[in-house]
Amino acid sequence: MADIAIVGMSVLLPGAPDLQSYWRNLVNGTDSITEVPANRWDAGYFEQGGANRADRVYCRRGGFVDEHASVDPARFGIMPNSVAGAEPDQLIAMRVAAAAIADAGGDRRLPARDRVGVILGRGGYLTPGLVRLDQRVRTAEQLVRTLGELVPGLGNGELDRVRAAFTEQLGPEQPESAIGLVPNLAASRVANRLDLRGPAYTVDAACASSLIAVDHAVNELASGRCDTVLAGGVHHCHDITFWSVFSQLRALSASQQIKPFHREADGILIGEGTGVVVLKRLVDAERDGDRVYAVIRGTGVASDGRSASLFNPDPGGQVTAVRKAWQAAGLDPAAEDSIGLLEAHGTATPAGDQAELSTLAEVFGSAGSAVIGSVKSMIGHTMPAAGIASLVKAALAVYHGVLLPTLHCEDPHPGLAATRFRPIDQARPWSEPVRRAGVNAFGFGGINAHVVLEQAPSAKPAPRSITVREPSRVLRFAADTREDLARLLQADDAQLTAAAPVSSGGRWRLGIVDPSPKRLAIARKAVDRGVAWRGRSNVWFSPDPLLARGELAFVFPGLEAEFDPRVEDVAEHFGLPRPQVDGADLGRHGTAVLGVSRLLDRALREIGLAPSSVAGHSIGEWSAMIASRMFTGAAIDQELTAFDPSALEVPGVEFATLGCGVERVREAIADRPELLLSHDNSPNQTIVCGPSAAVAELVAEFRKRAVMSQVLPFRSGFHTPMLKPYLKPFLDLADRLTPDAPEVAVWSATTVSPYPADAQGIRELYVRHLLEPVRFREVVESMHAAGTRVFVQVGPGQLGSLIDDTLRERDHLTVAANSVHRSGIDQLRLVATALWVEGATPAFDRLEAARHPVKLDLGSPLVSVGTRVQVPSGGPSSLEPLTADFPIAAELEALLRETAASAAAVIGTRHQVPALRRLRKSVHVSTATMPYLLDHCFVPQREGWPDEADRRPIVPATTLIRMMVDAAEEAAPGRRAVRVHGVRLLRWLTGAPATEVTIEVVPQDSDRVRVTVGDHSEAVVELAPGFHAPPQALWGADPASEREPELTAREFYDRRIMFHGPGFQGITELTAVGDRHVRGVITAPAAPGALLDNVGQLFGYWIYDTQTAKRVAFPVHIGRIDLYGDEPTAGTPVYCVVRITEVTDTIFEAQAQLSVGGTVWAEITGWQDRRFDSHPDTDPAYRFPERNTLARKQPGGWFAVAERWPDLASRELYLSKYLSSAERAVYDGLPPRSRREWLLGRIAVKDAVRDLLWDNGSGPVFPAEIMVRDDGAGRVWVVGHHGFQLPEVSVSLAHRNELGVSIARLAGTPVSIAIEEVGSGPVHGRQAVISNPADLPARQYVVAWTEGPATSDQEENA
Amino acid sequence: MTTTEASQEVVLREISDMLRKVLDEQGLDDTEITTETSFHEDLELESIDLVALTGLIAERWGESVNLAEFMAEKEIDEVIALKVGDLVDYVVGSLRANAGS
Repeated sequence: MADIAIVGMSVLLPGAPDLQSYWRNLVNGTDSITEVPANRWDAGYFEQGGANRADRVYCRRGGFVDEHASVDPARFGIMPNSVAGAEPDQLIAMRVAAAAIADAGGDRRLPARDRVGVILGRGGYLTPGLVRLDQRVRTAEQLVRTLGELVPGLGNGELDRVRAAFTEQLGPEQPESAIGLVPNLAASRVANRLDLRGPAYTVDAACASSLIAVDHAVNELASGRCDTVLAGGVHHCHDITFWSVFSQLRALSASQQIKPFHREADGILIGEGTGVVVLKRLVDAERDGDRVYAVIRGTGVASDGRSASLFNPDPGGQVTAVRKAWQAAGLDPAAEDSIGLLEAHGTATPAGDQAELSTLAEVFGSAGSAVIGSVKSMIGHTMPAAGIASLVKAALAVYHGVLLPTLHCEDPHPGLAATRFRPIDQARPWSEPVRRAGVNAFGFGGINAHVVLEQAPSAKPAPRSITVREPSRVLRFAADTREDLARLLQADDAQLTAAAPVSSGGRWRLGIVDPSPKRLAIARKAVDRGVAWRGRSNVWFSPDPLLARGELAFVFPGLEAEFDPRVEDVAEHFGLPRPQVDGADLGRHGTAVLGVSRLLDRALREIGLAPSSVAGHSIGEWSAMIASRMFTGAAIDQELTAFDPSALEVPGVEFATLGCGVERVREAIADRPELLLSHDNSPNQTIVCGPSAAVAELVAEFRKRAVMSQVLPFRSGFHTPMLKPYLKPFLDLADRLTPDAPEVAVWSATTVSPYPADAQGIRELYVRHLLEPVRFREVVESMHAAGTRVFVQVGPGQLGSLIDDTLRERDHLTVAANSVHRSGIDQLRLVATALWVEGATPAFDRLEAARHPVKLDLGSPLVSVGTRVQVPSGGPSSLEPLTADFPIAAELEALLRETAASAAAVIGTRHQVPALRRLRKSVHVSTATMPYLLDHCFVPQREGWPDEADRRPIVPATTLIRMMVDAAEEAAPGRRAVRVHGVRLLRWLTGAPATEVTIEVVPQDSDRVRVTVGDHSEAVVELAPGFHAPPQALWGADPASEREPELTAREFYDRRIMFHGPGFQGITELTAVGDRHVRGVITAPAAPGALLDNVGQLFGYWIYDTQTAKRVAFPVHIGRIDLYGDEPTAGTPVYCVVRITEVTDTIFEAQAQLSVGGTVWAEITGWQDRRFDSHPDTDPAYRFPERNTLARKQPGGWFAVAERWPDLASRELYLSKYLSSAERAVYDGLPPRSRREWLLGRIAVKDAVRDLLWDNGSGPVFPAEIMVRDDGAGRVWVVGHHGFQLPEVSVSLAHRNELGVSIARLAGTPVSIAIEEVGSGPVHGRQAVISNPADLPARQYVVAWTEGPATSDQEENA
Repeated sequence: MTTTEASQEVVLREISDMLRKVLDEQGLDDTEITTETSFHEDLELESIDLVALTGLIAERWGESVNLAEFMAEKEIDEVIALKVGDLVDYVVGSLRANAGS
């Protein structure tokens, strides 16, 4: 038969929520058997020892998955509230199938949907959903009938009440609960929710079901009907009836321990679980570069036919099944080396074990030796899922090269002696040359299946020693003093490791990853002595946090000998594309390296870690360029998709790494012209390049001299002139990609300085980089000298150790963002911990599962009704029995009923709506009363900046709306605001300095009020006794008209496209954007008005994504807001669609719909944003003023700034980013006509000074930190504001019309600058002519400047 | 005590000192380095650390103890499984071979 590859797997089994934990349990021999949880069946059913009744069982231990049974319904498009009604095993099958697909490389790697099948083994048992249905339909009826019979006087009303009390305990009635009745839905639901369109069905062959499913799958693939099949088994039934069957058959273990192949094995313990494997033809899997766990070589199926008993296994059918499978594989099972592991059915019933051992003896004989095992010893018998639990176990054993233990087999069954098989009690390496395994699953009724597995052609050899990765743990401690931190660590190890990670403030920080006694001891000593400890043994401690004064850089690895990235989980976690990881040839290796770095760069930014500069080693420099955003993500995607790795041609020269410094290598190759120095990596590592014979000779020579040397396993000739004849494709690439100026400095290892900002300069350097040596050691030195203290290696490999080798004892931290030692996410957690210790504030929570799983109730316990019946003395109503005989009684009863009815009517009419009233109140607006305003500050400032006014904490427009709505409701007790009309946003309301505003509510008519907030905003609010029914129609979008947003929600905020702080950052998913719409998910923030503010942000994303000019926009008017319910509580995911209705030069207009779980909560129409003048040149300084300037440096070292804000409102936006309150006061005091030029001069000086500081190694400086003063007579000087330490700087400034110029020099060097229109008079000093930018009036000026003591003309030449 | 046993002990102590120097642990990690200590799992040595160790060994015993050649013969998983005892054996063996030649 065709070889079939297992390319993905996942399970949910007792003790194992996923594949990794299953593997851990298998290697460690974890016993996951427990007592039955109370909700599965009532403890009263258990009877110690005996139990000769169908409704009593003598065993209560088994394998259960309750603690891990949850699903994330949102992920599968299921409403959370329908989870309770659904059959749990269908949801579990979906979760496990999705995890198996993810394990196989994710959705993107699936073939066409109609070529994917789903075949699951599942029995028609009484599953929990069915039981609940039975309880509702039958038991409830039985209960009231019996009760009625037992207590004849109970009226129908009372019986109905009992029924209701009973069914209420079963949860709300949902048609979905009935679906458990249809067993094939377990497969169909997977196909439906995951959109798989090949055959989808369940098979029932009792305990052989899973392997029969696999057999079907193999046939589907072999016949070519499918290209991928998900196969497996599902079993989640611990119903007491199921236990009763096995109890009556005496098949349960009386000793309550399942011990397969033990001499005294006495029966099964019942387990449960689900497993799914993803199968493909081996040739396809190899073509697609899939990871192959194992290859299915053969499957065999046979029945016992007419044999001794339907319940007792018969070796005849088993033998046939096993032989058929080996025959299909074309292998002789009796050969001595045929098999290394037999995963037996191993039920631990005396008859079952005996029959299976006879089968094995007959088929395999006793020659040779192999391991036998049964996972049932750890998880119980999982029935239809037993085969898949065994298959996954065997496939993992084959893949990892580890033979696995079986529990409780201290005294083996004598029947083993006649076979070649022996159980083992500890995992051990499986070192046979070809690892081959057999898997048995034999079902009740005589249905038998066997599968032959073999290692993949590309399998790795067995490990020398066996280690399994425990889940990673991180401890973080923070304190205000070293002594406090030391005190925290005095607790004993157990207490410390049990402590929840601390992430709150405190400058003294300690991080430990995977704590052990040794690591804790190191941590204590480091803290006690106050010495820095940066990463050895996974401990980080920093007495002087590096990021407080130094900067963070990302460094990107190039090609290395070993390339084993672990990023699948990172891609999955952040929903980012998973890079193809394949080192088959140079082209593929290169794209994989770039892809992995790109993914990790994005992931790091997702957790709030962004670099101040970037660099790369060899082609890692391309990663650095990409990370600096010289190119758009779309352009890079396009290039990577179009790139054909196999077409790449490079010279066939080799590289060798030599373990010594560059000088020694230079000396050795001085007289060998064919060898060239290609990389100066570090003091102890240098790379040379040349023809292989010469390289090999040099390596041998160096090795002889005890220098560690190694030939690298790829050839390219990069970074040497030997690449020159092959340059064309690289130049073509450069022609297709036009670079923008990088957002952060990109250090070139060719020039050992940052890349230029212009396209031509970048291109020239790109070419030199390909032909000239990599000076990595020098670049690291220079970056350190320029202030970089923390280097994050954005990829796997050893690049960081080159940095450590270079910097040695100098203060720095290097940490790798990917490592073979732990999963991708765990390693990011480690990076976050290391950087947190150095003063960073990573968003640790973004590394945790953000999904909101819903716990599944797998039980169907007996119901307690929680009520009592009124046992009647005479009848259901005291008057009712009398009515037949006494008409007066009937009249009286009728009268009483009527009275009650009219009383209710009277009480009802009193419930009338009071009239609307006038309201006027004063509200104190400040950051103290509205602390959330601190997350809505328009201007970023240094941390701890004392003057809040300089941050411009603005009351959001939508918070004003909230205030107006609240005031309207206050004026209309008992009524709700259902509609808001004509919102006008007139003037910003700022929270600092604190201010008082008056809110006024004036009734308009019977259901409308007009509300104003000072002169800041106004609206008309419509009120009603209750909310109107929401519209049914949810706004959709034609998928063809939209695309994936270029940014993730995280990047949207991190890049300050929006200025909002965490309290207002509600967008958690940017779903899609189109020419005229955008949609996303807002997780409702807690701050008042913040939810609707996020609608504006989503609108803002559309503007950012689609517009190129005048992108700064603020709301000024909202036509109408319809509200259909209470505002969703904080944390609720709200789905939002924004449709753009109008775009003009001055406004953007949109409408929006917000819904929660498919129900519309609000609709907005006529939302108008006013567009402000802004220019792409001013954008970096607008968003990150602490790192960018509005003024541009000119040849000669002076600065010029052009006015890009033609109107007052736009000017205000830039002004607020540059001036502190004190300067603002001066500005306000100037005659309006002078203000404009005055501002230009201030900006020019602040930028000239800040640039000077940056040139001298300073970190970020905000404009407000530089205070510009003048004596009114033309002399200008600068001082540091609010504690900013400014060295002595001389400055001069001048301005003319729409241009401001300035010059700044350090330490007493006198400077002057002047500006005149061309031809307007003599100027002295050095001169240059400068023109206005193209978008401003065409004018030319002469600028003259001096520096140095020769001239001391420091006049302000205005 | 035979000569071989004595030199085993001495070599182990010297190699432990070199490892501590390479690891630059400032005496904070005082867990004992034994012949069973693994380079990869226990000490977390990186390739550049091995380069440094090679230098120290060459400095101490001359080129007759050539760690570069010793490592060059190893497959990657052998390097990963390497224990301090393996290196001690190699050094002792090289010294003895050298003395005998």
